[in-house]
Amino acid sequence: MIQRRTRKLRPLGALVVAGVFGLTACGSPEGANGGSDAEAGAELPSKVEMVIPYSEGGGTDTWARFMIPYLEKHIKGDHTFVPENVPGGESITGTNQFVQSGGTDGGKVLVTSGTTYIQHLLGRKEVQYDFSKMRPLLLNGSGGVIYASRASGIKSVEDLRNPPQKLSYAGISATGLDLNTLLAFDVLGIDLKATFGFEGRGPARLALERGEVNVDYQTSSAYKSQVEPMVKDGKAVPLMSFGLLRPDGTVVRDPNFPNLPTVEEVHQKLRGSKPSGKAYQAYKAFLGAGFAYTKGIWVNEGTPDSVVRSFYDAIPKIDKDKDFVAKSEEVIGGYDVHSGQEIGDAVNKALSIDESKRNYVLRLLERKYDTKLETK
Amino acid sequence: MLDAALSALGGFLDPSMLLMLLCGVLAGLVMGIIPGLGGTGAVAVLLPFVFIVEPQQALALIIGAVAVVHTSDTITAVLIGVPGSASATVTLLDGHEMAKQGQAARALSLAFLSSMAGGILGAIGLTLSIPIARPLVLEFGAPELFMLTVLGISLTALLSRGNILRGLIAGTLGVLLGQVGAASAAADYRYTFGQLFLNEGLDLVAVALGIFGLAEIIHLVAKRTAVSGVSGIGGGWRAGVRDFVRNWTQVIRGALIGIWAGVLPGVGATAGTWMAYGQAVASSKRKDKKKFGRGDPRGIVAPESANNSVESGDMIPTLLFGIPGGAPAALLMGALLVYGVEPGPRLITDHLDLIYVIVWSFALASVLGAVLCFGISKPLAKLANVRFPILAAGLIVIMFVSAYQEPQQFGVLQVMLILAVVGWLMKLGGFPRAPFLIGFVLSQPMERYYFQTVELYQTTEWIRRPAVLVMAGILIIPLLLALFRKVRSSKESSSADPEGADDEEGPAAAELERSWLPPAMCGAFAALFGAALLMSASFSPDAALIPRVVCTVGLVMSLVTLAVGVRALRRDGAQPIDWRGEVGVAVVSFGWIVLFLVFVGVAGTMLAATVFVPLFLWRVARWEWWKIAIYTAVLLALLWTLRSAVDLALPVGYFTPEVLQ
Repeated sequence: MIQRRTRKLRPLGALVVAGVFGLTACGSPEGANGGSDAEAGAELPSKVEMVIPYSEGGGTDTWARFMIPYLEKHIKGDHTFVPENVPGGESITGTNQFVQSGGTDGGKVLVTSGTTYIQHLLGRKEVQYDFSKMRPLLLNGSGGVIYASRASGIKSVEDLRNPPQKLSYAGISATGLDLNTLLAFDVLGIDLKATFGFEGRGPARLALERGEVNVDYQTSSAYKSQVEPMVKDGKAVPLMSFGLLRPDGTVVRDPNFPNLPTVEEVHQKLRGSKPSGKAYQAYKAFLGAGFAYTKGIWVNEGTPDSVVRSFYDAIPKIDKDKDFVAKSEEVIGGYDVHSGQEIGDAVNKALSIDESKRNYVLRLLERKYDTKLETK
Repeated sequence: MLDAALSALGGFLDPSMLLMLLCGVLAGLVMGIIPGLGGTGAVAVLLPFVFIVEPQQALALIIGAVAVVHTSDTITAVLIGVPGSASATVTLLDGHEMAKQGQAARALSLAFLSSMAGGILGAIGLTLSIPIARPLVLEFGAPELFMLTVLGISLTALLSRGNILRGLIAGTLGVLLGQVGAASAAADYRYTFGQLFLNEGLDLVAVALGIFGLAEIIHLVAKRTAVSGVSGIGGGWRAGVRDFVRNWTQVIRGALIGIWAGVLPGVGATAGTWMAYGQAVASSKRKDKKKFGRGDPRGIVAPESANNSVESGDMIPTLLFGIPGGAPAALLMGALLVYGVEPGPRLITDHLDLIYVIVWSFALASVLGAVLCFGISKPLAKLANVRFPILAAGLIVIMFVSAYQEPQQFGVLQVMLILAVVGWLMKLGGFPRAPFLIGFVLSQPMERYYFQTVELYQTTEWIRRPAVLVMAGILIIPLLLALFRKVRSSKESSSADPEGADDEEGPAAAELERSWLPPAMCGAFAALFGAALLMSASFSPDAALIPRVVCTVGLVMSLVTLAVGVRALRRDGAQPIDWRGEVGVAVVSFGWIVLFLVFVGVAGTMLAATVFVPLFLWRVARWEWWKIAIYTAVLLALLWTLRSAVDLALPVGYFTPEVLQ
């Protein structure tokens, strides 16, 4: 008898539990607790968690894991770095989580990439972090080259003045690193048709090789390994590089591509003047994010100097490490590692943007690329 | 070329190379067996070692793991109906059916042999295609990839013989679910309900485990018996070998499809494996088709051979173009970069030796993996005879943890729970779940390549491309033939139509097939499609196109099926539903799963498992206390080891103590 009654009641109980659960379903327990805050003068903890807001095996993940042994070797004292991937939401998920609960004792550090910064610069609704206030520990730049396929009829950069064909570009999304290329062509006043939705720079390059598009950009290391053979075979024509953004805000030729003109030089060549105005300012606002400071390790605002210093002191040693120099050539294209001490202020400045430049970019995206964003 | 090949093989005489390969194979096998952990899990295990060993050894390590994940992921799929990885859902259809008939040994030996052959053929295919792959890949542009995805989705019709309309509804639902997240052609987020973790879409592992794995748990816990109706695993090892030899053409066809699916960036292992299965069904004789889904050996051979060869095919875009097809390939690429080897056109000329190391690793690992699986499968096969509630306690914990790995958000577990209910209802109501998964997997690629095609090509231009025409032919000709046959047979005899409406074709008829459940589900689906259609009003035009098409088609089909169903109910009367029995007990087992999630949400995985597992084993499995203690301790130890050794992410709750995070 009792047996029968419980049998009847159990489904009911299950439903009640389900209901209770449904009610609590609104929040998410992740990030509820995490790193701790530090007093002034505190030391870097012996175990440092590296929060990587991207998946395992991707470019940023590879870079972060590649850096670990050199950080462990050159930071004074016995420290272990443990990578933790928190991917998702164009890296917004992991970064938000970090600023909310990463603490300020250095027990958690954040690994960033250009995409992370760009979401902040665009002022997207979901973003809760602000790179103009956080503290950069270490920054590693990259470069990029814009090139065209020979099939486009372009033989040199001068042909951009009157392109023999309509220029078309394959992009991942208008809100990622493709933005730099879109803005560069906007500065130059050249019409570029962009198709988004490619899965990565690799498939985009394939589209150029297939003749589906005729203009593309690749980061330095991918350009050297994948595109230079095409240039040699006469299938691709290098046009310009994004150059190297110096802390004082000027742009010089990329040391990896000393023969390639920068976007600024191309403007001079095609238009007879230095670039200026809204378009150029907007381009510059995204240049640091996309290239000069693309890979970085950050801590939250309010992390004490004593913690930050451990990183600062290690960086000159990493830059001189022969093994690092040799191997970093392939991983990131041989760009120097900078310490936040050296260029921190410039980086904070480069990663802040005023309303007028942001609005210019948002309008450009809306007008020309049918992309309307939800912003704060 | 031969020199390089032989010297690379000679490298394996070095015991340290073999050791690395063996370590990789073991890691791959273990990760394959654990439901939901697959290639990505294996990558996590190997990551710490990859950057410290020699390049050749690193290759052997990674390839060793990658090559065998799809050998061992079959084990749980066949034995307990819970897929070891997403692509094992394909083998599940016929393999698990065979196990239920008491022929687990036959199914497993057949699967392992096919995996091994697939791996070896994949290695051969890799060698042969390296010199010619580049132009072929370049020939295959957006229009071809688009047609391929359409062809894949059309498989749904093929895999739902008997109730095509229900299969198509399931497929359409899958496509709709795949639309969740960032739109590929616009900056919209669709159907994310403000949840950030949905922005990148739902993770395949969570969907596959929810719709197949958890649903199976609800179903089987309800039954309280072992999976296999027959005791013993059947001495059918030899039968498996015989099946393998008899179906050698399927082995080769499966492997070819697998390689090609790997070579094309953006197709992926799961879609490739489904295509191999679909091919096996499509190319079988008309009467034979009914055997699929009921334990047909071909339904095991083709997908098993394919999913192992996908991985070697995947090496081609990785090595020649620097485009990794998945996490393992990305890791491989990262490792190569650190050693100064750049994937790309120069690789063949500069580093031919490394390519042969990869090829040999694949071949050797495939053999090694199959041999080891044979070794462990006899004890493992006994799982099929264990009372299911005992297995369920651990499986519930493991599946939620696995699905958590990629998104690492609690929300994904709740989504999984909903999918589990949907999957269970689909199973009861006779909606095939395979089309659902295919639709889901191919949803985003189809949309992406559609927009690329129309943006980058003129319509007159792409529609005439030869490969597009061939695929269109494959798509249309069977339809025309079927139509022709139907017309002719209805002329000859209007009475005996072998394809009569709800004739019990395909998998055995579902339990509540003729109750009011299927029409009710159609109604719910129609409401869902309708709601999604309304929501699409706020999307920008490029983001709204596919959801609108999908929802309209889904809505119409659901309503038609609803009408047909209601008419049939009026005519024949509804089969009564046994509320107390099957359904009631299933609701209870669902309640248990919810209970576990509540525990996790409150206290985190470790504490939740500590409370839930003993409670479940005590109340449901009614085990002795000492067995419960050992079981719980072993499970907790396993979780903790994986967490410390491989960085397994354990879902956290609101009040998880610091040490357990």
